[in-house]
Amino acid sequence: MATVTDLSPAGATALDLHVSPLGRVEGDLDVRVSVRDGVVTGAWTEAAMFRGFEIILRGKDPQAGLIVTPRICGICGGSHLYKAAYALDTAWKTELPPNATLVRNIAQACETLQSIPRWFYALFAIDLVNKNYARAEGYEEAVRRFAPFVGTSYEVGVTLSGKPVEVYAIYGGQWPHSSFMIPGGVMCGPTLADVTRSIAILEYWKDEWLEKRWLGCSVDRWLENRSWADVLAWVDEKESHYNSDCGFFIRFAQRIGLDTFGAGFGNYLATGTYFNPEKYARPTIEGRNAALINRSGVFADGVYYDFDQANVREDVTHAFFEGNHALHPFEGRTEPLDPAIGRKQGKYTWAKAPRYEIPGVGAKPLEAGPLARQVIAGKPGAEPWQDYDPLFYDAVTTVGPSVLVRVLARMHEAPKYYKLARKWLDELDLHEKFYIKPQELPDGRGFGSTEAARGSLSDWIVLKDGKIENYQVVTPTAWNIGPRDRKEVNGPMEQAFVGTPIADPKDPVELGHVARSFDSCLVCTVHAYDEKSGKELARFRIGEGA
Amino acid sequence: METVIIGCGNLLRGDDGVGPILIRRLWELGPPPGARLVDGGTAGMDVAFQMRGAARVIIVDASRTGAVPGSLYRVPGAALEQIPPLRGMNLHAFRWDHALAFARWLLKEEYPRDVTVYLIEGASFDPGAPLSPAVAESMEGLAQRLLAEWSAPLRWTSEVR
Repeated sequence: MATVTDLSPAGATALDLHVSPLGRVEGDLDVRVSVRDGVVTGAWTEAAMFRGFEIILRGKDPQAGLIVTPRICGICGGSHLYKAAYALDTAWKTELPPNATLVRNIAQACETLQSIPRWFYALFAIDLVNKNYARAEGYEEAVRRFAPFVGTSYEVGVTLSGKPVEVYAIYGGQWPHSSFMIPGGVMCGPTLADVTRSIAILEYWKDEWLEKRWLGCSVDRWLENRSWADVLAWVDEKESHYNSDCGFFIRFAQRIGLDTFGAGFGNYLATGTYFNPEKYARPTIEGRNAALINRSGVFADGVYYDFDQANVREDVTHAFFEGNHALHPFEGRTEPLDPAIGRKQGKYTWAKAPRYEIPGVGAKPLEAGPLARQVIAGKPGAEPWQDYDPLFYDAVTTVGPSVLVRVLARMHEAPKYYKLARKWLDELDLHEKFYIKPQELPDGRGFGSTEAARGSLSDWIVLKDGKIENYQVVTPTAWNIGPRDRKEVNGPMEQAFVGTPIADPKDPVELGHVARSFDSCLVCTVHAYDEKSGKELARFRIGEGA
Repeated sequence: METVIIGCGNLLRGDDGVGPILIRRLWELGPPPGARLVDGGTAGMDVAFQMRGAARVIIVDASRTGAVPGSLYRVPGAALEQIPPLRGMNLHAFRWDHALAFARWLLKEEYPRDVTVYLIEGASFDPGAPLSPAVAESMEGLAQRLLAEWSAPLRWTSEVR
């Protein structure tokens, strides 16, 4: 209850009112798992909220996506803008000056750099102080570092997480919800002072958090780790490594078994991100792969494949949409169905199930996110200016994927993206242009994609007579939390729950770790049921017990 | 001394967008001297970061209390500080009422001493809907009110001269 002054013309002067501010874009994810003999045997992910941006965009001005999609999300708005801009660039066949590509790269990297410590300290690590681990060696140290608000590392990590988006705001005017990337370039004219300030902010973030707190060593020393064995040796190499947040986390995570569950299918997708300014001066769908700095690719059943957007499908067999088709997003349909009717047809979620058709193999559910990106980074055949990094290919093929490996893949991107952003800042040519006015073609098709902090994020746009005829957004959360498909194959996160051991069925914190490791965009509740009796064992709000 | 005006809400959800739309309206009318305008959007935690160094903060948002659409409320910020829930926490679920408590922790002595929240009761929160007439009218009234608050001390200064 708050004492409120009513300023309406007919209102009284003061009254007591229960003020209930609105929830935002948040939506609930209900995960149902069945448990037998203390191990998860099946899982169903249910997204409880309908998301209808595709319907909002139909019939609108082609550039509406630049305004609408960054507001799909208050966390990854910059990533939405980035791929929406490229979707139009490809549809309108624009020309991009090198500066525009660099500024887009810098902004995109900074949004992800912000997300990394914020996710780790504010969301993931708070589960490490769960009372279930009270008897584990190192628990007191975990509490000292990671306890919400009072933990020594929590405060530094969360406070400094705001820094990289200060750099974004220098070029984007604001963060969140900027719309400064436009077909043909970016809407900014940075000065030398802007660039030097950006460098100072990034350096401060790197010095004070990344090197001092997280790594306990230089960025370059960490990046010398090329295998999982290297990482484990690195922990013991020096006291500063051992006692860094990273060193402590690896030790404590092994102690409580985060390296033993949460594997999933081990099949991955990255659509890639960041472009070489010369090689993507004329953005096309066909030329995209060859111009990527952080490459795209698919890794399934131990084999690497090239990524082709034409092989993406969205299967609605178990989603609350009309029909049971699996369409390519250019032909995609978003026709919501009353869940009460849908349930009778075996549907159980508002998320579509994105699948990737591997020619000659068939449709595969693929995990998206930092681990997926880093596995793809190990794909052979990189050009000298492209990212080649074998560390996580080694991890998934030697020790196998797990919650620990998935978390470390995310953290591994902090030094990588810092170095890239730093380099791009040096390459800006302030005497050259940042925008080339494009011709607004009335008809065409576009594909834009990037890697948001939490995984591959793509737009498909169809223009007809100067208007949007069809627009489909496929998010990393959909890739990960999507349901079963027509062949009853689990979605990636559903699969990752299977096999998870549960120590205390009344407080299944292990399920929280699995759900968190995906960093999905939905508030998550896990319901655990006994497989035989169907009785609910526990309901676990992610983060409970902290 | 700086005042920060932060409009919160989602432009895509009808009257929920009244905060960001008010920010644009103030920009059109001419940003008041000494004020910084912020589209806080839906990124709750960053609302806290935006308050750093401000002496005074004004937050504008939509409410859904069941009152008559367009009703305008003024609430002292301290009355709405709510610690973010650690249960079920997600950055999407982080709202500005959490941001106030979070900012007090984050900013410590830099936390603004004067925080006021204006709430406009919404009618429709449908995806893609425009502002409803009652809310648009109430928003215009609030814009004028905020500008009048600014011009009052300036006028007073010139009268003294």
